[in-house]
Amino acid sequence: MDEMTQLSLLRAEVPEPDPSDLRAEERRLMAAITGTARSAAPLRSRRRVFVRLGVAGGLAAAAVAAGVAVSVGSGPGSPQSPVVLPSAVAPAAVTRTLDRAAEAALHQPELHPRQGQFLVFRSQEMEEVDSGSDRGATRYLTNTRRTVWKPVAGLDTKGVLEEEVLPPTALPGSPLPPEAREGLGEHGPDRLAESDGRADHLRNDYAYTSRLPTDTEGMRQHLYIGLQNDPGKTIAAWQRVGGLLTEAYLPAAQRAALFRAAATIPGVEAVASAKDAVGREGAAVALTDTEGTRQEYIFDRRTHAYLGARTVVVDAAAAGLPKGTVTEATAQLGVQVSDTAPAIKEN
Amino acid sequence: MSENGRTATEAEADDASLIARSRHEPEVFAEVFRRYAPQIKRYVTRRLGPDAAEDVVADTFLLAFRQRDRYDLSQPNARPWLYGIATNRIGRHRRGEVRMLRALARTGADPVTESFTDRSDERVSAGAVSRRLADALASLPSSHRDALLLVAWGGFGYADAAQALGVPIGTVRSRLNRARTKLRKELGGVDPTSISEEVLHG
Repeated sequence: MDEMTQLSLLRAEVPEPDPSDLRAEERRLMAAITGTARSAAPLRSRRRVFVRLGVAGGLAAAAVAAGVAVSVGSGPGSPQSPVVLPSAVAPAAVTRTLDRAAEAALHQPELHPRQGQFLVFRSQEMEEVDSGSDRGATRYLTNTRRTVWKPVAGLDTKGVLEEEVLPPTALPGSPLPPEAREGLGEHGPDRLAESDGRADHLRNDYAYTSRLPTDTEGMRQHLYIGLQNDPGKTIAAWQRVGGLLTEAYLPAAQRAALFRAAATIPGVEAVASAKDAVGREGAAVALTDTEGTRQEYIFDRRTHAYLGARTVVVDAAAAGLPKGTVTEATAQLGVQVSDTAPAIKEN
Repeated sequence: MSENGRTATEAEADDASLIARSRHEPEVFAEVFRRYAPQIKRYVTRRLGPDAAEDVVADTFLLAFRQRDRYDLSQPNARPWLYGIATNRIGRHRRGEVRMLRALARTGADPVTESFTDRSDERVSAGAVSRRLADALASLPSSHRDALLLVAWGGFGYADAAQALGVPIGTVRSRLNRARTKLRKELGGVDPTSISEEVLHG
């Protein structure tokens, strides 16, 4: 975990406030708005604004007066406010790969973990470290073999992690810095996360994933929760697909819905051949981000099972690395159910 | 709503067109508040705690509303503009921000989050990583802290952070590099995954 990830967890328990927690701020803004309306607007509309505010008060009333449709009391993407989201007819090769993955998901033996048990995930990952000192870039890739015990219900803070740090991989043009070889070998068992301030809709514990929609449209709405006004919503939704495939287990119906929903995200393309973090080769579906890299999900050609993810440079100028450089990869190696998790080394 | 000839699709309008409209129909600015106030409140609260955050957020939207005539309508997304104003207002609370970071670093008790920690029955004090991060954040130049936290907590890319802070992108990059180096130094030698929370029974 790099320092930015650690920083992102600091005070992450501070929640996004409900509209009711913003009344004081709202009142001050509305006073300014109605003040302006009274002094600047023609008499007729001025009275209309004033009267409606008097009746209902607050933002909703102001929005009505202004004719802006505001859905009060229903969060973005919630069932009460069906929103029009970008949808696309994917290229045939994309649909084929994801449809087969969905079908395969429906025909695989299922796990039935119970409350109190753990899902044990084995995986390998390669991720970029940017130690960016003043002397210049020292970017390299770390390789880690992970075993994670995640509680069937609840936060990652109750999970356990054992990892083996493998030799690092150099990036083109950046020799490995000495610190890249520090900490090789086995670590743990440790707490999986020091804190887990994820928004509810980003959870991927089984208790949560097993309640997700089982239809394509419902799953699509789930992937876009909170993203309606986000210019980066397409890539964000695509990354959420990965969040549900990495160290996460979904029942067959949800897993199939996830693959079908992924096919509706605009801009997804097929990649004929890609390798996961342990070198297993398969067919991939991918979306290119604005940083010059393509984010791929890789599937076994024969079993259609999900293998892992990979990020590859497609635009050298934007990424600052040669085209074809792999900057990130994962491999999902296995999942099973366990009654217990190893005891954490307290220190 | 049809009396005004407007439709529900305007809830999907981009920020620039809302702000443009709000210049002659001020009420429309309420939608800008609705879109961004929750996330900005969370961001400011993480930096200053809930009390100062209320003032800062109220000031931010008041100022934004008053400056809406100067908004660059070629920018469809108002998020950098609003975070820029918020960052400016946060600057007025710099001493308080540093004081609370130092308190967290020293005692492990965080004045900023104490009212939000009822999630479980346990009172959890910050681990060593949090305390070292707080110490590093407190000792950064405020312009570096602004850039770092827009990226780490605001989810900003370099370009948007540069726009929010009104500085060239290269400046953001170098501030961030230096801030990250500082953080790494402070965290040096700590294996983050081996740090456990101290649970206080209270």
